[in-house]
Amino acid sequence: MKQGRKREIISKMKSFPSMSGIAAKVLKLLDDPNSSAGQVEQLLKQDPSLTANLLKLTNSAYFGLPSKIGSVRHAITLMGWKKITKLVMAACVNSITDRQILGYGLPPGVLWEHSVAVSVTAEGLMRELKIPEGDEIFTAALLHDLGKLILGAFVEEELDEIEKAAGNGIPFQMAEQEVLGTDHAEIGALMLESWSFPSKLVNAVRWHHDPDSAPETSSTIDIVHVANVLCLMIGIGAGVEGLHYEPSVSATKRLGIKPTQLELIASQTLQWVKELTDAF
Amino acid sequence: MKQLVQVGDMKVGVKGDEIVTYSLGSCLGLMIYDPVAHVGGMLHAMLPLSKINPEKAAANPYMFVDKGVPILFKAVYNLGGRKERLIVKAAGCGSPMGKNEMFKIGERNYTVLKKLLWKNGVLLKAEEVGDSISRTVYFDISTGQVTIKTGRNERLL
Repeated sequence: MKQGRKREIISKMKSFPSMSGIAAKVLKLLDDPNSSAGQVEQLLKQDPSLTANLLKLTNSAYFGLPSKIGSVRHAITLMGWKKITKLVMAACVNSITDRQILGYGLPPGVLWEHSVAVSVTAEGLMRELKIPEGDEIFTAALLHDLGKLILGAFVEEELDEIEKAAGNGIPFQMAEQEVLGTDHAEIGALMLESWSFPSKLVNAVRWHHDPDSAPETSSTIDIVHVANVLCLMIGIGAGVEGLHYEPSVSATKRLGIKPTQLELIASQTLQWVKELTDAF
Repeated sequence: MKQLVQVGDMKVGVKGDEIVTYSLGSCLGLMIYDPVAHVGGMLHAMLPLSKINPEKAAANPYMFVDKGVPILFKAVYNLGGRKERLIVKAAGCGSPMGKNEMFKIGERNYTVLKKLLWKNGVLLKAEEVGDSISRTVYFDISTGQVTIKTGRNERLL
């Protein structure tokens, strides 16, 4: 029965509208060393809401630019290629996560805020731990809960059963597995895989609750894992499942993080999130 | 009037007010109430000690238990609350599952609170702390009633 349920969930996932077609093309263009700012701008013109989101993010207090940026071309020149890629990603994620998430009890805007919070926390942890910043960490963190968009409706239907299973002392994502045959991390990873995202990102999303089970451990997965738990703890994006997740002792050991470092980042997270989300 | 306490924030109220805070995970929610003057206040503090980030503590003392708690008491005194009449209740201070000490911020918040209250001769009338849950707290300043909601479950504190 669980297998049948999982098939149903996956088929629903396949019918989920992919990220804006323009976004996918933009990301591809940004990944191509031979492309130009002009080409990116031309493409973005076809998606005004994505462009508007991109400019809002660029002009947010988080980046502290001295003057207001009004064009994509100017934004690219000023922010650079790598940052713009991240921001295009964030603009896309905003358009799909900025709504109510059934099942998990997340009001409109909360999943978006949580996604941003985990991204800035993850970047903050990288800086604090002096881990060389990989390009993928921000995006991986931004996308980690994507699966909730699909799984939410199913969680809503089976919430009593899932809560019962979780009540027996297993983390929430394991309770999802037990009742639905899959969990939001797995579904999120399958979504990204079907959109041909790089495997580093897919893995960070897939193992964000269980970094020790990843075929290959990595600091990207560990950081997203830690940042996610921390954001839930400080009340950014906790839904019906609350703090019913288990942070890995091995992951924090691998990162060599100290409690004071975690608290320091926590003390800064709110402001970073506010700076980025106030723009919307 | 309904007042919302954000994370790292404090609000006081008088008769007719309701103070609410959402998503208390490992943060401390502290509610104090004078049943004679019908005044009260709520703090939503995130971290135990301000020394972790003194600059932040100067800008926003409510983020920290050690700074926020004394200010909450003073704010309620300013409204006419009296120390000997105050009813003090605590909620939150949860932790994720498992034994990872790194993430026991909730327990550390609670320890700092207890020390502070003990030093000042204040007792907790009621508390609902710990567990891996996220709590919403409603504080009715007309009656002093504190209601905690977790998911679909609601109870009085």
